[in-house]
Amino acid sequence: MSTATVQPERILKDLQQLWAKLAHDQAESGGVLRACAMTLTVAAEDAPDAERVRQTVGVLMHNHPSRAVILRPVDGGAALDARIFAECWKPFGKAQQICAEGIEITAGQSGFSEVAKFLVPLRVPDLPVVLWCRGAGALERGPLEALFPLADKIIFDSIHAADADSALQFLRRLRGRGGRVADLHWTRLTGWREVLAHLFDDGALNPEEIKDAQVTFGGPSVTTCARYFTAWIRTSLPGVRVTLASGDGPAGLRSVTLSSASNNLTIARTDDNCVEVSGNGRHYRLLLPSTSEEALMQEELGILGRDPVYERALAA
Amino acid sequence: MTEVRNPFEDPLRFERRVPECAIVIFGATGDLAKRKLIPALYRLAYDRRLPASFAIIGTSRTPLSDEAYRELMREAVKQFSEDGEFDDELWKRFAGNLYYVAGDVKDPQLYVALKEKVNAIRQGNVLFYLSTQPSYYPIIVDGIGHSHLAAAPPGAWRRLIVEKPFGHDLESAKELNARIHAVFREEDTYRIDHYLGKETVQNILALRFGNGIFEPLWNRRYINHVQITAAESIGVEGRGAYYQEAGALRDMIQNHLLQVMATVAMEPSAIFEPNAVRDERAKLLRSIKIMRPEEVDLYAVAGQYKGFRQEPGVNPDAQTDTYAAVTFFVDNWRWAGVPFFIRTGKKLPKRVTDIAIQFNSAPLALFNTGNGEEGARPNLLILRIQPEEGISLLFLSKKPGSGMRLRPVSMDFNYGTSFGERSPSAYETLLVDAMVGDPTLYTRQDMVEASWTVIQPILENWSQRRFDFPNYEPGTWGPAEADAMIARLGREWRNS
Repeated sequence: MSTATVQPERILKDLQQLWAKLAHDQAESGGVLRACAMTLTVAAEDAPDAERVRQTVGVLMHNHPSRAVILRPVDGGAALDARIFAECWKPFGKAQQICAEGIEITAGQSGFSEVAKFLVPLRVPDLPVVLWCRGAGALERGPLEALFPLADKIIFDSIHAADADSALQFLRRLRGRGGRVADLHWTRLTGWREVLAHLFDDGALNPEEIKDAQVTFGGPSVTTCARYFTAWIRTSLPGVRVTLASGDGPAGLRSVTLSSASNNLTIARTDDNCVEVSGNGRHYRLLLPSTSEEALMQEELGILGRDPVYERALAA
Repeated sequence: MTEVRNPFEDPLRFERRVPECAIVIFGATGDLAKRKLIPALYRLAYDRRLPASFAIIGTSRTPLSDEAYRELMREAVKQFSEDGEFDDELWKRFAGNLYYVAGDVKDPQLYVALKEKVNAIRQGNVLFYLSTQPSYYPIIVDGIGHSHLAAAPPGAWRRLIVEKPFGHDLESAKELNARIHAVFREEDTYRIDHYLGKETVQNILALRFGNGIFEPLWNRRYINHVQITAAESIGVEGRGAYYQEAGALRDMIQNHLLQVMATVAMEPSAIFEPNAVRDERAKLLRSIKIMRPEEVDLYAVAGQYKGFRQEPGVNPDAQTDTYAAVTFFVDNWRWAGVPFFIRTGKKLPKRVTDIAIQFNSAPLALFNTGNGEEGARPNLLILRIQPEEGISLLFLSKKPGSGMRLRPVSMDFNYGTSFGERSPSAYETLLVDAMVGDPTLYTRQDMVEASWTVIQPILENWSQRRFDFPNYEPGTWGPAEADAMIARLGREWRNS
């Protein structure tokens, strides 16, 4: 690792030297393979969060090798500073290392608005730019707005948003301006949505027979994920009456019941990882996929084009 | 029955889901089941791709209880799973739906027992997998037909997967197809060619038809020739008895390599839909020029490595080709005059499967200094299938320093590097495809018959000849005649 002041040309030159050194150090085991599929810019919440981001990015790089640019905010009006790093791994059974590169930029709150102009030359040319804005604060107007026009996709996480409706309004506004947005609190629903969707595979359930859908959420107030889920059902089954109700249990989605004239079918959370499907001749439990931050980001980084299902749910 | 669209589908995020079904594996204690099929199904279970009630019914002659079969397969999965830790808990759930029925495929009682088992586990959808020796295929299909096992209840399906070889010549392929069609419809018949399930073979379609830069060059104006190599460093490894009846031409070229060639050379389909893609592959196979008898010696070479006849189970006088090289031409506007050189063999210097597309040299050797340096070396696009999956483009670049001296450099795309996620094995891909009813990567009857038609003149010629075998040393690139074959057309093999 080396340090550099924030002069993009200098940083790029340092990166070149870093690659030359890596190649030299690994010459006997076949050199290193440089891999890059995007520029992943991460705006951390604070300095400790930036440390966590480094670890998460290290995991993400295995499936989505990228030039990572981590923005590390510090208190006060500290001057911009930057350092570069490489994230290397050796695939199972292979002698050659694969490496991806990273840049960590430190800035005081006042310096964040300047970061955008440094990011332009630091993007990998011709590859997509993904911006990951961490923390609830990102869902408000703030210094990160200057970075939005640089990104092909902007990822937020509304799980800690104090007000679900305001957070959704923010995302809708951004989407309305033509930005491609994603919300990890929507991504957390993939397991639930998949369980529900598969009930309709091969005509096992007839969507035309469903009259009502009741979604229950836990916690003190309605969350964005409950709003997304009801919106998704509403847009998928336009004629169905969809209601959202508060229920017992920790925050998040607790159950969904689909009712037809003759039957009820319920998917209910039994614990953090499982749901139980019951009714209409069915009774079984299913394991939900991991909702670790790494798993959610892996899923989102795999979708760099339009995501029409999410866009419909967000707009509804 | 009208199909109701699933209003909740989200193909960007949801995996294709395997419907509730059972798979009946004939030859369930054999090598293929142990090495490939059960490990692939276990991996699908590991990835949560199989429904909870998914069942496997294995059948073969060996008398075994369900428990003994489960134990046998447990060991197989532990030994042959390509990646990932063995998960005891998962295995318990997986093995709970693993059953075994012992019996002889010639005995009608076997099919009665299988029918009882299918009914007992209450599965409407059933996939039959023929993984026995090929001579049993018609017998098994007849047995399934006579016992009405192929008759699905309303709304359900019965499908058949057939392992290669699909016949041993054109006539026997037609006969096998007729026997299969007496019981299964063509759309329910899945002839498996595991090469087509490999990610990199599928990636040929993505490279050609997903990018704008290659297709304009993909024709006789710019491509000088194509070389397809499938080399193995090992010998027959205990499969001598089988192999001496098959040989390299039948075992590799008739099926895998002609399918790969069809994928490289086919026209784009109007839509990416199973029959549209298969129509184009079939058209290409039908466009391959059929050799006249007098052309076979010019365009096809057989080889046998020294020591093959001493392998266990091999006739000491065997005329089997452990190496085959063939020059094909495609009679259409795109490829007229472009030779496709295909070679495969055992005991070659290394294990490698790749496709090399050699472009024409630059029309003028502008930088040729005349002192033996590179000046007009042709560009090569290499599609690597195994062991390292990827694509390389070879071109000339200026050497650093004064003067204009060129040297070849390689621009590499490595599949594993750019996509860190694990690639599913060919059998995982193809088993899921058959269960969800997607035959895109399976071979159709007309494709099988077209590829037998292409090699039939070579088979006939070779069956009437007595070769002076062995004609190549283990660890070399095959017989000298193969070098002469390609040299007659002014080209040479890439032996790197």
